[in-house]
Amino acid sequence: MQAVADYPALTEDEFRRLCEYLYRQSGMIFTEAKRYYVERRVNERMAATGSQTFASYFARLRINAEEENEHFVNALTVNETYFYREEHQLTCLTTDLLAERVRDKRAGDAIRIWSVPCSTGEEPFSVAIWLLENWPWVDNYEIEIVGSDIDTRVLEHARQGVFGKRSLMRLSSDLVEKYFSPMADEKWRILGELLNSVQFSTANIVESSETRGFGRFDVIFCRNVLIYFDDASRRVAAENLYENLLPGGFICLGHTESMSRISPLFEVRQFPDAIVYQRPPASPTRG
Amino acid sequence: MPLIRKPTDRPAPKKTESDDLLKGLADPDPDQRWVAAREAAQVVGGAAALAMALPTENDPRVREAMFTALARIGTPETAAAVISLLRSDAANLRTGALDTLRLMVSRMHDLLPKLLKDQDVDVRILSCELGRSLPSPEATSLMCAVLDNDIDANVCAAAVDVLAEVGGTEALPSLRACALRFPATPFLAFAIKAAVDRLAS
Amino acid sequence: MAKRKLARTVLVIDDASLVRLYYRSTLEAARFKVEEAMNGIEALEKLLEKPVDLLIVDVNMPQMDGFTFLGLLRQKDTAIASIPALITSTESGQKDFEAGRAAGANYYLVKPISPETLIEFASLLCGLRL
Repeated sequence: MQAVADYPALTEDEFRRLCEYLYRQSGMIFTEAKRYYVERRVNERMAATGSQTFASYFARLRINAEEENEHFVNALTVNETYFYREEHQLTCLTTDLLAERVRDKRAGDAIRIWSVPCSTGEEPFSVAIWLLENWPWVDNYEIEIVGSDIDTRVLEHARQGVFGKRSLMRLSSDLVEKYFSPMADEKWRILGELLNSVQFSTANIVESSETRGFGRFDVIFCRNVLIYFDDASRRVAAENLYENLLPGGFICLGHTESMSRISPLFEVRQFPDAIVYQRPPASPTRG
Repeated sequence: MPLIRKPTDRPAPKKTESDDLLKGLADPDPDQRWVAAREAAQVVGGAAALAMALPTENDPRVREAMFTALARIGTPETAAAVISLLRSDAANLRTGALDTLRLMVSRMHDLLPKLLKDQDVDVRILSCELGRSLPSPEATSLMCAVLDNDIDANVCAAAVDVLAEVGGTEALPSLRACALRFPATPFLAFAIKAAVDRLAS
Repeated sequence: MAKRKLARTVLVIDDASLVRLYYRSTLEAARFKVEEAMNGIEALEKLLEKPVDLLIVDVNMPQMDGFTFLGLLRQKDTAIASIPALITSTESGQKDFEAGRAAGANYYLVKPISPETLIEFASLLCGLRL
C-alpha cells in the first residue's frame, strides 16, 4: 500500500473541484486556507481505497463506492468529541447569544439550550461548565440543558458521566479538579450536580413527531451531523430545528458547515467569535 | 458515530382533513400557515392544495415548507405542479421549484429528459442543473445530448458546467463539437475549454 | 494627479463554477481582486466578514435567488447594504429589469456576457475610469 506521504499534491483545479463537490454533498465549506488539511485526508482515503490517482479517487467519491462519501466526511470532521470543543462557540454563547436572549427575559425565567446530537455528553456538559465558569448571570435564570442523540448507547454513556483523559484534554487541571472526581483507570466522573443539570433523551431530528415534543429553545447546538444527510433530509431537519427555536433563538453548526447549502429559513448573524444562524425574532406588529 | 439518512419515505395520507388544510394554508398568521404546510404531506389532496396556495404565498419560510411538503409527496402530479412553478416570472418561485425538483429527479426517470426538451429556454437552462443529482453516466449522456442538439448558447453553457463536474472522457467529442457550433460566444468557448482541459487530464 | 488605481474587490455570486471561473479570469486580467460565493446565503456570510467594492449576482441560484439576496442586503443597516450590484441573468424581458431595479440592482446584464462588457460595467460601477 502506498504511503500517505507519497501522493502528489492536488492541483488548484482538483482542489476546487473537490471542495465544490464536498459543498454540494454535505454543505461543508473548505477554503484555500484549509488545503493542507483537506489534502492530507484525501491522501489518507486514497491510500485506504487503493486509488492510484486523484481522478480515480474522485470517481469513487462521485459514485459513493462502498460508502466512500461517509468515510471521507468522517475523515474531515475530526469525529472525536471532547470537552470545550469549538470553544469559540462557547465564547460566543456567553458573550453574545445569551446577552441577546435575556434582553426580553426577567430574573427567574427559563433559558433552554439543546445539544443535538449530544453523543457521549461532552458537549452539553461543556455548556454547563462553561456557563458556571464564564457567565456572571448563571444563577439569575432557570437554565435547562437538554442532550439528545439517536443512538441510545451513547446516551447511556452520557448518563453515567464518566470520561477518559482524551475527553478532558482541553480542560485545565483546575477545572477537572473542580467538576470531576477521579476514578480508577484514568477516568473521571462528573460531579452529581452537573450530571443532574443535563437531561438526556433520544431524538431523530429528521422526524418532526420526535422533535416537536422538546419544545422551543433559546440556543441549539447541532454540529457535524447535517453533513451526513442527503438534501431532502437536511431540509426536513432544518425545518424541524427551526420549529424548536424560540423567535430570536440561535442555532450553531459545526465550523465548516453553512446553512447556505441547507435552508434559507434562518438569518445569518456574524459575531466576533462565530457565525451563527437565527430564527427571526417575532415581528413587532404581531400581537 | 456517523449517521446516514436516506430519503424519508412518503408518509401514509390521513383522510378528510383537506378542508382543514385549505383553511390552514389561508390563515392570516404565517406561523399557522407554516404548520399547515408542514402537515400537508400527510393529507389526501395535499399536493393540490399546496400547488394552489404556493403562487400567492408571501412568506418565504412558509413557501419553503410548502415546497418541502411537495417534495415529500413526490408523485408525478406533484412534479407537474412544481414544474409549472419553474416557469414562473418570480425568481424565488423558480428557485424553490428547482430546489424541489432536485429532491425528486433521481426517483423519476423521465422527468429530466422531458424538461430538457421543453419549449421554454429558461426551463431548459434551469433543468440542466438537475443533472448534478443523477448518477454520472445518466447525467453525462443527457448533457451530451443537450450539447449536440440544443440551439441556445445558455442552455449549452449550463450543460457544460454540469459535465465539468460529473462528466468523463466520453463527453469530450460532444464538448468539442459544441464549441464549433457557437464560435461567436466567448463565454461558451471559455467554459468548453475549461471543461475539456479538466476532463482530458 | 495620481494615476494609481486601488485594486477593487468583486464578489461573484453564481452557482455555476465555470461562470465564476470565467468572471474571475476576466476580472483578474483587468486587475480586480475576485471573491466567490455559490448562492445568496453564502454571499451574505462572506460580506459579513469582509465587504467588497462590487457584487455580480446571478438571478437563478439554489436556496436563495439573486433578487431575494439583494433585497435582504439592501435592508441591512450597515455599509454592506449599499455595495453596488450588477445583476446577471438569461432573462431579458422587461419584467426582470424591473425586478432587478426594485431589488436594488445598479445595473442588469444579460448572459452570456462578453469580457469587454463585464470589464466595462465592473469598472463603471466601481467608479474607475476605463
